[in-house]
Amino acid sequence: MHTTMETPATTTNLLHPSKRLRQRYRAERWFKRLGLLAIVLSLAFIAFLFFSIFSDGYTAFKQSYIALDVNFAAEEFTQAKLAHANFPGLVKKAMHSMFPEVDSRRGKKELESLVSPSAAYKLQDMVEEDPKIIGTTQKVWVLAGDDVDMLLKGKIDRKEKQSNRRLKDNQLAWIDRLISDKKLEQKFNWNFFTAGDSREPELAGIWGAVKGSFLTLLITLTLSFPIGVASAVYLEEFAPENKWTDLIEININNLAAVPSIIFGLLGLAIFINFWGLPRSTPIVGGLVLSLMTLPTIIIAGRASLKSVPPSIREAALGVGASKMQTVIHHVLPLAMPGMLTGTIIGMAQALGETAPLLMIGMVAFIVDIPGSITDPAAVLPVQIYLWADSPERAFTEKTSAAIMILLTFLVFMNSLAVYLRKKFETKW
Amino acid sequence: MELTSNQTHPAFPTLLSGAVHQESEQTRSQAYTTGRKTVGTPFVDKPRMTCRDVEVYYGEKCAINKISIDVGCNEVLAMIGPSGCGKSTFLRCLNRMNDTVPSCRVVGSICLDETDIYHPSVDVVPLRAQVGMVFQKPNPFPKSIYDNVAYGPRIHGLTKNKVELDEIVETSLIKAGLWEEVKDRLLEPGTGLSGGQQQRLCIARAIAVSPEVILMDEPCSALDPIATARVEELIAELRTQFSIVIVTHAMQQAARVSQRTAYFHLGDLIEVGATDKIFTNPKHRLTEDYITGRFG
Amino acid sequence: MKVTSILAAGALTLAITAPAMAARDYISIVGSSTVYPFATVVAEQFGKTTGSKTPKIESTGSGGGFKLFCGGVGVNFPDITNASRAIKPSEMKTCAENGVKDIIEVKIGYDGIVLANAKSAAPLQLTRKDIFLALAKDVPDPANPEKIIANPYKTWKEVNSSLPATKIEVLGPPPTSGTRDAFVELVMDAGCETFPSIKAMKKSDEKAFKAVCQTVREDGGYVEAGENDNLIVQKLQANPDAVGIFGFSFLDQNTDVIQGSIIEGEKPTFEEIAKGTYPVSRPLFFYVKKAHVDVIPGMKGYLAEFASEKAWGQDGYLADKGMIPMPQDERKKYGEVISSLKTMEMK
Repeated sequence: MHTTMETPATTTNLLHPSKRLRQRYRAERWFKRLGLLAIVLSLAFIAFLFFSIFSDGYTAFKQSYIALDVNFAAEEFTQAKLAHANFPGLVKKAMHSMFPEVDSRRGKKELESLVSPSAAYKLQDMVEEDPKIIGTTQKVWVLAGDDVDMLLKGKIDRKEKQSNRRLKDNQLAWIDRLISDKKLEQKFNWNFFTAGDSREPELAGIWGAVKGSFLTLLITLTLSFPIGVASAVYLEEFAPENKWTDLIEININNLAAVPSIIFGLLGLAIFINFWGLPRSTPIVGGLVLSLMTLPTIIIAGRASLKSVPPSIREAALGVGASKMQTVIHHVLPLAMPGMLTGTIIGMAQALGETAPLLMIGMVAFIVDIPGSITDPAAVLPVQIYLWADSPERAFTEKTSAAIMILLTFLVFMNSLAVYLRKKFETKW
Repeated sequence: MELTSNQTHPAFPTLLSGAVHQESEQTRSQAYTTGRKTVGTPFVDKPRMTCRDVEVYYGEKCAINKISIDVGCNEVLAMIGPSGCGKSTFLRCLNRMNDTVPSCRVVGSICLDETDIYHPSVDVVPLRAQVGMVFQKPNPFPKSIYDNVAYGPRIHGLTKNKVELDEIVETSLIKAGLWEEVKDRLLEPGTGLSGGQQQRLCIARAIAVSPEVILMDEPCSALDPIATARVEELIAELRTQFSIVIVTHAMQQAARVSQRTAYFHLGDLIEVGATDKIFTNPKHRLTEDYITGRFG
Repeated sequence: MKVTSILAAGALTLAITAPAMAARDYISIVGSSTVYPFATVVAEQFGKTTGSKTPKIESTGSGGGFKLFCGGVGVNFPDITNASRAIKPSEMKTCAENGVKDIIEVKIGYDGIVLANAKSAAPLQLTRKDIFLALAKDVPDPANPEKIIANPYKTWKEVNSSLPATKIEVLGPPPTSGTRDAFVELVMDAGCETFPSIKAMKKSDEKAFKAVCQTVREDGGYVEAGENDNLIVQKLQANPDAVGIFGFSFLDQNTDVIQGSIIEGEKPTFEEIAKGTYPVSRPLFFYVKKAHVDVIPGMKGYLAEFASEKAWGQDGYLADKGMIPMPQDERKKYGEVISSLKTMEMK
């Protein structure tokens, strides 16, 4: 390594690098440090984000339940239909029997509010499932109200003045008695994974949104993957090179950068207003998200087709394969990992999208679990948005829990993309 | 694609005159007219392929300039010349691999067993089965050794059942001198073989569809000397069944494996002759300059 | 390959569900984000107790709701739209033009708009005049009330000497929100009219009057905090000097961290709003397409659920969620509107 022309390359010179060389090394060190700092900073931000979401949300996976001794007295079920029985009344009676000393009207109302309104639905389900329990007394674990749940999770401050608390002193005393009687417990919140949306935080679940997301992405995948791959193959392998294909290429690249809400407007105009497809349904959502995902898939597909070495094409053509056989037998399988990666990344984008869905009415309160692509459905990010906007305090933890679920799906999809890329990487 | 013996092609007079002008500037030897006369013996009796007045254009640029040559049966024809002289381009015309280059245009006639392969009704798929090709860089498919060889017979429907296919694969690999080395690992990926083995696998793949002619485009340039020697032996063996056209940069290789040698220079075919004659007693000055190392 | 099986599954799903598109067996509701938290409770209750499909409710804002609602008659258009204000004549006209002629208007209750700050600060005692002076873009010159000048006030004390000397920083909804419309109308306009010169202007030059009274300052005193009221509540906790504007239900749910400001001597409590003494409250409505009542299953059931005492009554579950119920006679009146499906007069 000659540093200066005058001094001959001696051992001393090698041991004592010149000023210029030292400067070069210093610059290199600084660059490395800055790079490291950037990585550390971004990791810190991610860690902070994950920590705050997790610390807010982990409590949502437990829910408070109250044990009630419900007397399904036969005289309560005199109506023609079981559904018309006074189930809320049964819940109230069970509560009153636990605290017989409460006799004022106001006191009774405060007592009743400890139990979630969903308790009545649970009793109704039990009776409809097995009418034989009429006439018996059953011990039933029902959901506690959201305020009770918040108290047990330490999110309501007992030391606060009574007027400022959502739970009054007498309610706190009842809750303490229930806890000491082992009639108020936190249990794993299965309901969160099996229920649809609800306006009662203790009853709200993510399953409706997960299924909505699944159906929507199914449509998106079904449409955008074959169309995207076919377009990429045509443009890359078959299309003549002229100004039309250049124009198409420019437009595809533009489309990839178009704000997603535009696709929502387009979807509203074409799929709903012109085709008359039903609003708020996965089919429309899937169509709109396909429009959004297609450019991503086409661009990724073309890039991975380009990366297939021409020698493979020549080899196939050289033994007499037709153009189509060359593409299908050799080029496409080699490009497939890249295409799948692009598709998965596109799907992950689609999974996190709300803006275009706003325009087509998927940002909606939907309780029933969607059964098909024409049932109204919400999707995961929409559910997060709706819960974040709800007044009840207990929805805060549900929001964070839903974000955790969404992040889990996203991390899973992106890892799958990385795995596919690693697994099928350059085998020629 | 009709045969024209005129000095200028009636359809492309301007193109040709442009090309001539360009070349007369580039060439430091004597001036010549279009379609410089080839010295030596370009034609043989009972040829397998006949090429007459072949011109190749990349867009406006003329890459091959009125070449006429025959490829005999059971012979190895070596094509030598400095880089960019058009020998690879010409080779790729022989099985219409140049079709994949959109700007490439071929004029003149190339016949395989008296069929003009550029005739509009000729299908390139069976053509490429009859005129196989081996490339510069070994390019096995990223599939198993078996599937590499079986691919051609499969797409051309040459076999009725698995037994026949197995037979073809085995004979092809035997002919390519690879059988002993790979017979126990036919299902392993072809890309896992060494460079020389890969190239022999590519040769096996080419001969699996029983071609009449095999084109080899510098098949040994990516191989070490031992692998090269092995492939050269193989070429000598294959000559008994196929016609082989080989492009090479190594003149020793041309001298070792070929019966006839053609010297290309800037898109012209300068001299063709028996290999021993060309290397010992070249008739044309350009050929002499090249093989004695004064030029190129 | 797996891809093919996924594709096949997708195609199958499409094929199976295609015929289901023809009809709609659930109620489609759009409209105000203020009514949304109340309508959703009723919808859920209706769905869970009757076994019918739960109505689908989109929160589109009152204006957006009317636009969709008035789009036409048929399964592709919503059956009901919620609104935090009465329908405008122009919207009625659009409706009529698109064949939506028979509309049932139902008032469901009231909502209070509150100003609130963090518990850690002292509660504010405000008048609508104070709020107007603090938030308007242009205000009358204190020296010469005839002259309109750009808002000079930086602290609450400058507005009214009895208020603390903290910087004016109000977090409120953006112009697209119904809450903002109601706030401007109920607070700003009223505060504005306390100045005789401006009040006179209302008759002479309504446009100028609106420009003065309804334009909110843009120099940082008023911060548009988005439609998410929870966000405002969190920001108030973090910044004790800031004041937030939002619907009563959010105050009701967060009484441990924020406190409502007293306006014209009235506290924003459930009782005061219900009595009508708290000045900043507005009625909430929903509008029903009569043509859909017998076509879409469950319409009558949903309407009946809404109009039941256990829902919109004094102690009903809507009151628990923070909606202010109507007085007894109003409930009776609108209950009859629902049972008789009495349509509005088209203007």
